[in-house]
Amino acid sequence: MLRQTLYGSLLLAALGLHAGDTVKLAITGPFTGGSAPMGASTRDGAKLAIAEINAAGGIQVGGKKMKIEAIERDDEAKNERGALIAQELAAMNDLSGVIGTVNTGVCMAGDKHLQEKGVTKIICPAAGSASMTQWSKAGVKDLSIFRFAAHDGIQAAMVVEEAINRKFTKVAVVFDSTNYGVSGRDDILNQIKLQGNKLQVVAQEKFNIGDKDMTAQLLRAKAAGAQAVLIWAIGPELAAVSNGMAKIGMKAPLIGGWTLSMSNYIDNAGKNGNGTLMPQTFIEEPITPKAKAFIDGYHKTYKVDRIPSAVAAAQGYDAVLIFAAAVKQAGSTDTHKIKAALEDLKEPVKGVIATWNHPYTKWNPADVTTHEAFRREQVVMGMVQDGRVVFGNAADKARLIKEATGTPAKPAAKPAAKPGKGKTK
Amino acid sequence: MNALIIGQMAVSGALMGLVYALIAYGFQLTYATSKSINFGQGELVMVSAFFCLTLTNLGLPYWLMVPGGLLFGALMGLIIERAGVRLALEQKSEGWILLSIIMGLFLFSAAENIWGRDDRPFPTPISADPIRVFGVDVTRLELSVAVGVFAIMGLIELFKRRTLLGKAFEAVSADRDAAELMGISATRTVMLSYALSGAVAALAGILVSPITTVGPTMASALILKAFSVAVVAGLDSGFGVVLIGMALGALESLASFYLGSGWREAPGLTLLILALAVRPTGVFGKAVIRKV
Repeated sequence: MLRQTLYGSLLLAALGLHAGDTVKLAITGPFTGGSAPMGASTRDGAKLAIAEINAAGGIQVGGKKMKIEAIERDDEAKNERGALIAQELAAMNDLSGVIGTVNTGVCMAGDKHLQEKGVTKIICPAAGSASMTQWSKAGVKDLSIFRFAAHDGIQAAMVVEEAINRKFTKVAVVFDSTNYGVSGRDDILNQIKLQGNKLQVVAQEKFNIGDKDMTAQLLRAKAAGAQAVLIWAIGPELAAVSNGMAKIGMKAPLIGGWTLSMSNYIDNAGKNGNGTLMPQTFIEEPITPKAKAFIDGYHKTYKVDRIPSAVAAAQGYDAVLIFAAAVKQAGSTDTHKIKAALEDLKEPVKGVIATWNHPYTKWNPADVTTHEAFRREQVVMGMVQDGRVVFGNAADKARLIKEATGTPAKPAAKPAAKPGKGKTK
Repeated sequence: MNALIIGQMAVSGALMGLVYALIAYGFQLTYATSKSINFGQGELVMVSAFFCLTLTNLGLPYWLMVPGGLLFGALMGLIIERAGVRLALEQKSEGWILLSIIMGLFLFSAAENIWGRDDRPFPTPISADPIRVFGVDVTRLELSVAVGVFAIMGLIELFKRRTLLGKAFEAVSADRDAAELMGISATRTVMLSYALSGAVAALAGILVSPITTVGPTMASALILKAFSVAVVAGLDSGFGVVLIGMALGALESLASFYLGSGWREAPGLTLLILALAVRPTGVFGKAVIRKV
């Protein structure tokens, strides 16, 4: 008897919890394996935002406050795992949305299941162009997939621009054989053409995931006279390239996708990684109060002194804030209504990367940027220095500090007093 | 320039090939005494490397970590012999093939659960800066591989030839039944060979990890090549594996330069087929005449 009442009340409690008191948000990504620094950082950044929202009582949905309940799934960076997880999530009736996915291939394999059911997903931080262009190619009229990452189009443009600015004329394009690597190569070659063919591609070299010895590819690039290596790959192989270059005494800098800021690149490359350049949406330097609070919060919560992938963590954090704003505006946990709200977000969202004003608009198959939050101005060039990522160009840092301390637009005085001026400790 | 590139590719390939040779030598050691091979040798390399990484992270200096790692490898070799090989051999069954593969899979899962699936850097006091020898860049790390491989193989060969225990090893290898009649315990000798083979695997892990990083899958690529080397050289050829290992390594890296990295394995494997077709007992192997 007693036992029955106990079970009964437990059941009631369980039902009560699941009867729409929470906003269910799935967080997916590779939490193990070579892509794990990005996946785990996205998850942890997102959970930091969730914890902050919940600590403040939750999101105001209609008449009541609702907490966010995170559902975590590890896709192991495997396309087939990603597809299975997407099917599982698509089958959940009360799911409000999905944030995550690091690997472009996983997006390609899984997102169609979510799109079929109209489940709102914010891709974060997978950057490969194909994961959004697949929808415009298919001519989809109504899309529930959004992206919150500096897509490879922006990144490739910055990489090529950087190489030209540094007065290089001969470059090698090096990439891995995954969807990410190959589409990165296409983006780079395309950008070189767009920016006036100022760079001559003297070598195109490919390698596979798991390769440790890149001597052959690098020697060919060196023999062809490459002054810089433009590269698109993932942490461990990037480190193998960097170490291989040191071994054959090749002094050309690595410039490439944001994956060059992954901890498993920086750690495995050691001092050979110094000077590597890559586009970043967030640099782990407490230059604004918001950034400082986020970095300190992450370090304290997860007991680390360096975020494994600061970009992924900050994007995961801001993505949750934007998602929560959409839930609030929709006044509902219904994923379709949240999607509509995301496409027309009225209130600006103060994130750690930037203040997001109307990040998305109604999907237009002819223009993927309608569902892309990042523009060129939210991305800066980062550089590896002694095991950390720092600002590659001092001008970017000064600009971000200035933006955060108010006074956007209208530069009152010439930025003569570069550092000291708006510094907030 | 071209000659230099060929030289560079051949030298770095050959130095990596020495690691194949060392693992192949581990195969030979157990094959000599028991006509069995530990198919989990690759996982033994990997687990030992992880163990050494843990020792290093605990603050043990390099020169203490190396013997610690070798001891661990030897111990693992003994466990594999006891759990996977001995029973099958006593029953004259081929069960050791499956059992040693299973032991390897077990070690693999254990490593994934204990140390995680990530590739990690392996700290070493040996510098990775290149030194230039006759226009070819070699790192001290790569040279340390050569030194380590020759040192341990030399020591084990000396041990086999100069000590009583080593002579017992040779006797069991030559004729197990006759050796047992002379009062040599074949079981003990097989145990010894597995311990040595485990220590050799551990050393291979210590030598190769600073170059390739440590991760659960680090040995899967190595092991197939080591096996090819052992078979092409002949499973009882002693130093033959060194020559074949270096040749295979050099061939691989030349192939990846001239044919593209996708084809790096092709010439080596073609050569393996050729070698087996022409000399089934291995290039340096001795034909065994069996009287019926």
